[in-house]
Amino acid sequence: MATKKAMLIDIKRCIGCLSCETACKQLHGFSTDPEPTLSDTAFTVVETRGNKFVRQICMHCEDPACASACPVGAISKSPLGPVLYNADKCIGCRYCMLACPYSVPRYQWTKLAPFVKKCDLCSDRIKAGGQPACTEACPVQASVFGNRDELIAEAWKRIREDSSYVPHIYGVEEAGGASVFFVSDVPFEKLGFKAAPTGTQPVPTLTASALGDSPKVVIMGGTILSALYWVTQRRREVALAEAEERAAITGIKRKDERS
Amino acid sequence: MIARIKSEITLWRVIVAVIFTIGIYATYLRFLVGFRASTNLSDQMPWGLWVGLSTLCGIGLSAAGFGISAAVYLLGMERYRPILRASILISFLGYMTVCVGYLYEIGLPWRFWHPIVMWNHRSVLFDVCVCIMTYTTVLTFEFAPAVIEKLPWKRLRDTVLHYHHKVLIAVVLAGVLLSSMHQSYLGGLYLIARGKVHPLWYSQYMHALFYLSAIPAGLALVVMAIYLSMRSLNVRVDFSILSDCGRMIQLLLIVFAFFKVLDLTANQAWGYAFQRTSEAGYFWLEMLLFVAIPIFLLSLDSVRSNPERLYWASAIVVAGFMVNRLNVSINSLQSAMGTHYVPKWSELAASVLVIAAGVIAFRYAVIYLDILPKWPTPTKPEGFRRWMSNGGLAAQA
Repeated sequence: MATKKAMLIDIKRCIGCLSCETACKQLHGFSTDPEPTLSDTAFTVVETRGNKFVRQICMHCEDPACASACPVGAISKSPLGPVLYNADKCIGCRYCMLACPYSVPRYQWTKLAPFVKKCDLCSDRIKAGGQPACTEACPVQASVFGNRDELIAEAWKRIREDSSYVPHIYGVEEAGGASVFFVSDVPFEKLGFKAAPTGTQPVPTLTASALGDSPKVVIMGGTILSALYWVTQRRREVALAEAEERAAITGIKRKDERS
Repeated sequence: MIARIKSEITLWRVIVAVIFTIGIYATYLRFLVGFRASTNLSDQMPWGLWVGLSTLCGIGLSAAGFGISAAVYLLGMERYRPILRASILISFLGYMTVCVGYLYEIGLPWRFWHPIVMWNHRSVLFDVCVCIMTYTTVLTFEFAPAVIEKLPWKRLRDTVLHYHHKVLIAVVLAGVLLSSMHQSYLGGLYLIARGKVHPLWYSQYMHALFYLSAIPAGLALVVMAIYLSMRSLNVRVDFSILSDCGRMIQLLLIVFAFFKVLDLTANQAWGYAFQRTSEAGYFWLEMLLFVAIPIFLLSLDSVRSNPERLYWASAIVVAGFMVNRLNVSINSLQSAMGTHYVPKWSELAASVLVIAAGVIAFRYAVIYLDILPKWPTPTKPEGFRRWMSNGGLAAQA
């Protein structure tokens, strides 16, 4: 089992230099002009919130809503950590975009064969033992990459050693946990971070109960309907037999109307 | 010659021509230019009118097929047999429009078959896809006799219908279960978007509410379609059946209203209904059109016993139902997504094109096949004689 990787983003340290954004765009061959929000050509952007800089990026959830929602299973969580998108399976239904609690996936609206676009945590690079382009480019180590367990320890160490940090790591427990997490010296809700809709539970649990009920409903519904059909058939047969009996008694010949 | 051509031009044909022209242009924009040119969809609003109208309303309004076939085949309510075929036809055509709409919706329509071979059992949308595909097959099977009995080869006809009859009940039963599943799963699609769907509509029982609301709406559409068929084509149905449908719609709406109220109370969402927000406005519009007005109107004898009034009451139910589905799929998401989405003309045009094609197919099916009991003489000879000259005779023969 491969060691789980993760990314830690330190909002206190970030100086808003956009190196991560530029490095990402260069790696993917996009124009390096900064964009205001995530797009199909910007998988991470640095947004300004007051005097703070907040990186927007796919959280790479442990149990991703997008992966559970995708009807063809085009999205999957890899053992190393990245949530990966398989363009060969995608049909372009965009349900992942609706399902994502952080509204991260973007779509190529202008293309005739459009695909979903989002950060893949530089999966190829980390598989080869490297690190993502963005963390490599960060001059102040506001974004760092490493083993998930070690990074969580590192985050707690920063919080312990500097009392200005908020004593919470956003992303470790939110929605069942993620592979990208944040520490900050400003409360997260003031920076536009949303509380996860399911608290610490993975988002796919929202649909699991409805889907889990369906076999019961099918079996019960099937049984009840079959029983009702049997009853109505039986009543019809009895009524018919009684009518025939009466006809036989009174000696009236009747044509069988069933045919 | 010119006079003949002139007499062929009627108001409805002009409207149909306009719908088709604009719709085909919108289709061209969608498939040969792209989403940006043909829709106002965005990363904040990835699903819009096509999902709301074509899929959610299309499937929901086709719910009568399984409702009526369950009533007639499984529960022995023979009274509704005269409208059975019409209901199945409406469902069949409804599902056909949804299948065509699906090609508009997905970004890579040539991969429409992927869900058949690539499975994800955790996905509600996967279940919806599979159920809709299977149930469309079931509907084709249920509707097939209407076409088969018109085949000129008697022996083939008899053999096919013989075996068809043998498995029919099992297929109907499967159809009822499949419908119940995907009618509710369409609501289940939004379960995962907690925090995005406005609390007036979000509930962990959204799927159940979708199911409860679909059946009265589907019945209302059947009442509308049969009324219009009786008015413009030479078919006659005992009006008391439609009247009973009206009573049934009212009952089902009361059940829906009961659970909707219960649900809002359980989620403590009533506060949102009295805020000065557009969501509250849409919510009350939905409650008025889908719940309050129809339940009141259908409780009146004077409405239920008058074909035209029953038609309009049903039309309000259908309109209210559409408001409900568009509320869930569009209006409930806008504030959380921080966007304002108004569909582009081409989105509406493409949806209307597909619906219009379905309506026209219904009309010709009623004319040429034995869908509803036929009346010997056309009631409106002038405008319809030409239409009827073939169909009417063929049907009587």
